[in-house]
Amino acid sequence: MTNAREISVEYLARVEGEGSMRVKVVDDKIEDVEFSIFEPPRFFEAFMRGRPHTEAPDITARICGICPVAYQMSSVHAMEDAFGLTVGGSLRELRRLLYCGEWIESHALHIYLLHAPDFLGYESGIHMAADHREVVEQGLRLKKAGNAIVGLVGGREIHPINVRVGGFYRTPTKRELESLVPELEWARDAAAETIRLVGGFTFPDADQDFEFVSLSHPDEYPFNEGRIVSSKGLDLPISEFNEFFVEQHVERSNALHSQIRERGAYHVGPLARYALNFDKLTPFAQEMAQEVGLGPVETNPFKSIVVRAVEVLYAVEEALRIIDSYEAPPEPYVEYTAFESEGHGATEAPRGLLYHRYRIHHDGRIADAQIVPPTAQNQLTIESDLRFVLEQHLDLPDDELSWVLEQSIRNYDPCISCATHFLDLTVERG
Amino acid sequence: MMGDDAVGPIVIDRLAGRLEETVVLVESVGDATHLLDTWRDARLTVVVDAVVSGGVPGSVHRIEGKAGLPPSWRSASTHLIGVVEAIELGGAVDMLPDELVVYGIEIDKVAAGVVLSPEIDAAADEVVESVAAELAVVRSP
Repeated sequence: MTNAREISVEYLARVEGEGSMRVKVVDDKIEDVEFSIFEPPRFFEAFMRGRPHTEAPDITARICGICPVAYQMSSVHAMEDAFGLTVGGSLRELRRLLYCGEWIESHALHIYLLHAPDFLGYESGIHMAADHREVVEQGLRLKKAGNAIVGLVGGREIHPINVRVGGFYRTPTKRELESLVPELEWARDAAAETIRLVGGFTFPDADQDFEFVSLSHPDEYPFNEGRIVSSKGLDLPISEFNEFFVEQHVERSNALHSQIRERGAYHVGPLARYALNFDKLTPFAQEMAQEVGLGPVETNPFKSIVVRAVEVLYAVEEALRIIDSYEAPPEPYVEYTAFESEGHGATEAPRGLLYHRYRIHHDGRIADAQIVPPTAQNQLTIESDLRFVLEQHLDLPDDELSWVLEQSIRNYDPCISCATHFLDLTVERG
Repeated sequence: MMGDDAVGPIVIDRLAGRLEETVVLVESVGDATHLLDTWRDARLTVVVDAVVSGGVPGSVHRIEGKAGLPPSWRSASTHLIGVVEAIELGGAVDMLPDELVVYGIEIDKVAAGVVLSPEIDAAADEVVESVAAELAVVRSP
């Protein structure tokens, strides 16, 4: 007699799209694993055709409410690549500072409200708050410290409006930036406490042989600039992204699946950045990572929560360094002239590498656009990870199996991860 | 960008310039933890959001929010953590305003687009008038 188990999870639209998970097991043999998402950036790519290139930062910022800075940064770098523009000095530092703010707020939200409940056995951050109010309050305050950076440098906390090709519309004064320091000094201690908190969680064994992909820069932990490198030997300029990576339609899914050409799935995000750039972390961040038992490379996705916490500490320390050395630039942006061209930009969104490519008409309008978000790049890896976790836990009852599978999706902090906290699960047995 | 789901920010835009100086208009898209910081010290907060709870598109719900919102509103949010969850979380960590009113404008579905459907556009105008009237009777202490 055949014993078939089917676990399917469907959830509704979020800012970054719809997602679903379905696994089918027959006689303890995995027949099918599907993780599917639908990516609204396809709409944005079409929408931008014919629009002035100067609108790209503000239009693409609307793709995601939690990581608008990443979209703004990848778009302006792509435009500047197209027009041969270099943005350096204080303007470059301000961009890193803005990115620090986004990492702090995005990571703090995920660590405290979306991911920690998995490890502490709560249905959601709201349920967790009833028993661990001080922990949730710390997470909210840490997140607010990141929001404050985005609000000041980006012009407002939600969908910042101060970023433009060549720099900013307005740059802050030294005194304005210094107003952030007391809370960031608190945040440095809170980030260290966060590492200790999440470093003490229990993690299922799930080490895997991923191909990690991230930016790498000779002098700094990567935000805005660098080469694209991988743990299995890739090392290429951002402009060659499409020569090494390909987005493919998969028949059963609306979404494009990214792969390394002729090689397959790869992994972007905190684990990848950390593994490929550990030596660029601040000494304190390295020390804290080691204190909680992290090595310089971590291949267990369940430990991504700890790596995110280490990145929060790095971002807080980097923000303090930038503010300390900041001198307001003479001009808020670098002047340039648009011409017919093509440009590429890739930056490190909280969830991983975010690639943009634009072709520009002679009059500065966008001829076509390509946006490859990190969640799409991780999609195949998430699916193979689900299969791996499923194999490890086939003996669990359906409800516990669903829990661990959902948790393994949340390890990647996809923008749909919050939805998976509020799932209606359908479990079918044969 | 979000079609009818953008009705909340559009109501905010239409309210601009119509309210007393003590009223702060804030757009909060995608991250409702931002709501907690925005409303925690407020005397009265009015939230306007799109909902998909099975009602007639364009119909308007008005709810005293501190007691919680209907469960059917939870899945309607396209936000990372929606208004429903923000109220629950705010209750758990004591970060709610003195008084909280939530207007839910029923939409048909969430789809990409840049203009409102006619019935949602009319509902937006209705909510603008209701909110303006509601806030007009509130004076600074």
